[in-house]
Amino acid sequence: MTITDPSRPAPRFVRADGPDKVTGSGRYTADLTLTGMLAAKFKYADATHARIVTLDVSAAKAMPGVFAVLTQDDVPDVKFGPFVQDRTLFARDVVRFEGEIIAAVAAVDAATAQRAVDAIVVEYEALPVVNDIEGALSADSPLVHTEWAGYGGVDVLVRDRNDASFASIAKGDVDEGMAAADHVVRSRYVADGCHAVPIEPRAVVAQWEGNKVTIWTSTQVPFDARAGVCETLELPNSRVRIIVPHLGGGFGGKCGFHYEAHVAALARAAKRPVRLVFSRREEFVAPDRRREGIVYDFETGVKADGTITARRVWLALDNGAYTADAGFFSQLAAMHALGPYRIPNALAEAHLVYTNHQPSGSVRAPTAPQTCWALESHTDEVAAAIGMDPVAFRKLNAVDSGAEGPSGQTYGEIGVQQCIDAATAAAGYGQVLPDDEAIGVAIGWWPSFSVPSGAYVKIDGDGSGQIITGAQECGTGAVMTLRQLAADELGMPAERFELVYQDTSVAPYDMGATGSQTLFNNGRAVVAAAGQIAEQLRNLAAEQLEASPADIVLADGMASVAGSPDRGISIDELAGIAAGGELLIGHGSGIPPGAPATVGSSCVGDLGMSAWVAPQFSCHAVRVKVDRDTGVARVLHVSAAHDSGTIINPIGAQGQVEGAVLMGIGQALTEGTTYDDQGRQRNAALLEYKLQTCADAPPIDVHFIQINTPDAGPRGAKGLAEAPNVATAAAIANAIAKILGTPVRQLPMTAERVWEQLQGDQGARS
Amino acid sequence: MSFAIARTIDEALAGLAAGARPIAGGTDLVVGARHGKAPLPDDLVAIDRLDELKTVTRTALGVSIGALVSHHDIETHPLLTSIYAGLADGSALVGSPSTRHVGTLGGNIMNGSPAMDTGAPLAVMGAEVELRSLRGTRRVPVEQLWVGPGRTCAAPDELCVAVHIPAPPARAGSAYVRLEYRRAMEIAVVGAAAVVTLADDGAVATLAVALTAVAPIILSVTGLDALVGLGVSGAAAAVGEMAATQATPISDVRASDRYRRHTVGVMARRAVEAAARRAGGETIAIPVNRAIGIGAPS
Amino acid sequence: MTDTPIHAIHLTVNGIDYPVAVAQGRNLLSVIRTEIGLTGTKEGCDDCECGACMVLLDGQPVNSCSYLAVQAQGRAITTVEGLADGDALSLLQRNLLDEGGVQCGFCTPGMLLSATALLQRNDSPSEEEVRIGLSGNLCRCTGYTKIVAAVQRTAVEIRAAARQA
Repeated sequence: MTITDPSRPAPRFVRADGPDKVTGSGRYTADLTLTGMLAAKFKYADATHARIVTLDVSAAKAMPGVFAVLTQDDVPDVKFGPFVQDRTLFARDVVRFEGEIIAAVAAVDAATAQRAVDAIVVEYEALPVVNDIEGALSADSPLVHTEWAGYGGVDVLVRDRNDASFASIAKGDVDEGMAAADHVVRSRYVADGCHAVPIEPRAVVAQWEGNKVTIWTSTQVPFDARAGVCETLELPNSRVRIIVPHLGGGFGGKCGFHYEAHVAALARAAKRPVRLVFSRREEFVAPDRRREGIVYDFETGVKADGTITARRVWLALDNGAYTADAGFFSQLAAMHALGPYRIPNALAEAHLVYTNHQPSGSVRAPTAPQTCWALESHTDEVAAAIGMDPVAFRKLNAVDSGAEGPSGQTYGEIGVQQCIDAATAAAGYGQVLPDDEAIGVAIGWWPSFSVPSGAYVKIDGDGSGQIITGAQECGTGAVMTLRQLAADELGMPAERFELVYQDTSVAPYDMGATGSQTLFNNGRAVVAAAGQIAEQLRNLAAEQLEASPADIVLADGMASVAGSPDRGISIDELAGIAAGGELLIGHGSGIPPGAPATVGSSCVGDLGMSAWVAPQFSCHAVRVKVDRDTGVARVLHVSAAHDSGTIINPIGAQGQVEGAVLMGIGQALTEGTTYDDQGRQRNAALLEYKLQTCADAPPIDVHFIQINTPDAGPRGAKGLAEAPNVATAAAIANAIAKILGTPVRQLPMTAERVWEQLQGDQGARS
Repeated sequence: MSFAIARTIDEALAGLAAGARPIAGGTDLVVGARHGKAPLPDDLVAIDRLDELKTVTRTALGVSIGALVSHHDIETHPLLTSIYAGLADGSALVGSPSTRHVGTLGGNIMNGSPAMDTGAPLAVMGAEVELRSLRGTRRVPVEQLWVGPGRTCAAPDELCVAVHIPAPPARAGSAYVRLEYRRAMEIAVVGAAAVVTLADDGAVATLAVALTAVAPIILSVTGLDALVGLGVSGAAAAVGEMAATQATPISDVRASDRYRRHTVGVMARRAVEAAARRAGGETIAIPVNRAIGIGAPS
Repeated sequence: MTDTPIHAIHLTVNGIDYPVAVAQGRNLLSVIRTEIGLTGTKEGCDDCECGACMVLLDGQPVNSCSYLAVQAQGRAITTVEGLADGDALSLLQRNLLDEGGVQCGFCTPGMLLSATALLQRNDSPSEEEVRIGLSGNLCRCTGYTKIVAAVQRTAVEIRAAARQA
């Protein structure tokens, strides 16, 4: 396949999977067809809280073309959940949200399967619906899980009735700090839930051969998916193989374990391969991965000179009906609510609250964009209270290299101050604008996740390389960038490396495309694996060139003797020699950096989120225009400055920021889930849940502050996929607040909410 | 069940007489069926190849637009984008570029949605719909065509073959403006169309305004004769208030009734202002939504 | 439902004639993906809201998820598989890769077809015209910046090539 022609300059960085994707030849999970394959459909609860009185699948089973109908009676009686084991594959006694699965059907085609689903009879006895986050915490609230106390869970979780995970971060004495303040500013904010919305709806194909099952699935986390199948179907790892074809985006929505076990169980029962493909509506209502709604109460004490003396935050997150991977969100949200600021006295308390909504879970920087929105809106209110410019206020109070953050972590070299300078300068902050326009500024942060990860690298006899990695490519290009790391280590062009990835039976473990961790951890593994081959090559070259291995330099496809450029041998030739002897094979994992220390703080419900390895920082400065007559806000320009360490793949990195910023604009203005009085989603479709279009997207300036970060990934790289999603909505909020003279206290800041705020404000003035 | 591709209008009419439903681009019909709003009709007659229904013809009285003229054709047609700019404004806002290529004027108005973007412009222009069946042909003013949400007065065997719009008088201009939360891929939350004729002194000589998505059908604002003789800004402000008063909006997931009532007034005022500017000879790019105000390119 | 008639029709996809038997209610997308066997055309929603299913019908962009297969008889259907000339990528495909406009790739086929149609009717679109022209194709990954750049660059190169010819 021709990608370049000689008359054009070399492309900057063309993805290895690019040609597959632009020609349509790349296969995604829903594109796979196996001989004899059946179609799967699920029967959903629809009711949001009810006891199942009758569940009759006999009519469905009797329908021609139906090969299997499964309920919880047909699978092992296993409760699962990474933090709280509060869920089963199918609801048995009680349903707790509209998208809960009661039964699954495999039939000759999707239409037949759907008719069978429609023939399943369910009768309910209604239970009281928990539809309000704060109300769920009151003593007299109905319980979402009456048997919560008996559920297994992670030991450190602090659980109580509807509170699935309480966390606090405390430092100093907040009461004393407030007493020492000249002003105390209190704010309340409410963020609605929203969705990841990858353009590819999820799909799963399962096929049994003997007692082993191969599952092709659109997951971001194949090893996690395998663990889920093994746990719920009581199978050993050795009998389950997960393969991920091309993945059409995830944004966290395809993290965790989703339906792989349901489809595998159907395929086993039907004795046929089975394929599940979600509709867009199912994609909205069923998965336990939805960005959580959060209610916030902030209180910050500040001196007249602008110094923050204390901060107290109370917040409650909508866990939804089951805990999924949100167990650590309370502590993560607590950190984000305190923010990247120097605060001597801090207390954040966070509750993860069961409701009868769709379960929450990791969506791109979970808890961060909405918490940054609330905190940074509050921060502008604090700055206003003392008459200080909000950017100057941030410069004064934001953390910096060597400074101590709100949880007692002292930071090494970090670039938050440089981010503020770069973004505000690029935006022209301070310029005179029309009175319906303003520039809002916000800062954000996000951890790098330090976890184990592995890779193999091999060089074949013709000198071509393969990277065999457990890392998962979800579109970000992080796996694509691994080629560059191996190539640089071995002095070879990146194009000489092929990637073999996304197969749990082939590659070593990796956590998956989650937590922006691919380059950070798997990059280290690839460098280590390539390093082993580099050593082999140096030894081989030393023999051939009669030099010392220490003097061999690998560059430009050659192994040469340092200082004698004419004494060299091509790596291809060395590979040919190695093919007749000790093969060129490397394996790597590397030791993940350990957790940083915190001093002087105490945490309840500590899941390791109060101290961050190689934290990433950002500042977004956004110019916004508001139509005062209608409340419609439009983003005119975004400047995004990021400290994500060393940037290895610049074009890919820019793409991460541009995409995340646009997602942030959607979250700010048009993307929010609304519920009816029973907790059902009212806007589970793309016409009513509005993503930003190409026509809405503003120019986005991207600036990278590249500094020497301690404990970073390969070459000083940190993560990047989530960080740029953090500060955009917050910066937009501050611009809108500047135009309106008052913040909009609910996210998304829809046109109607902006207009309502204008009405309220005018009412207050008159 | 049956499917036939009509080669002539008569074939199509025979199909309708036998109980089939017409399908042109199918955008509303197929999407509606997939969403379970209404099953796909059992018997379909495809009318999308009737080239004689794809013409825009200038007549002595005005213009005749074939029912199968696409929104894309309308938004780019030299005559329609100049003299009937308000209609082009509406077509240019429909759905996406692909919807505008596939979607037809006839389909839009016969679907009868109160949120249709071409309805209000046609109403203020005094358009008539030509309905044909094997029994004969009749013309119906568009305002009498729509009888409820998704319902028209057309009999099942009648096919919309054309829309006829009278020529506007001298010094007339039209515009259609809608509220949108994004700059593309929207459905009208509310909208308003206006035709304004200016007197020699710049005052409003005639005025017609119709509203989108604030009533079960496209709603024509009444009582506008009282505004004749006012200056444009005064008339526009008054129209805004009258529109807000006369609207009977619902609350749904897109907006509350209160917000709709307010914003339809804003849209009505802006439609009158834009129409008056066009009446005064100014060219405002199609669609006016993107040329003015918040929707303007940065 | 069970007596749905099957229509024996011919569809012309990327210049190849395919005889297929399809039920009346089948949409073009599912026939292209199953009977025709070309899976480059994607399904991202079912109501013309995402654009992943975009194909060209006689050169015009159409959401194949909401277009009946039986209606496409006799029309030239172009899918993403028909854009390259043998193994040589089209200018637009090449530029989309080179500019970094591809991430997860799921919107890419539809985006390429909308952009191809746009450039066929307008070889010098303004940025605003490109943005409106692609507004029916949702992309969640890129923020569209690099996609717009690739289309604009392609327009420049098409015009340059036309001048040389």
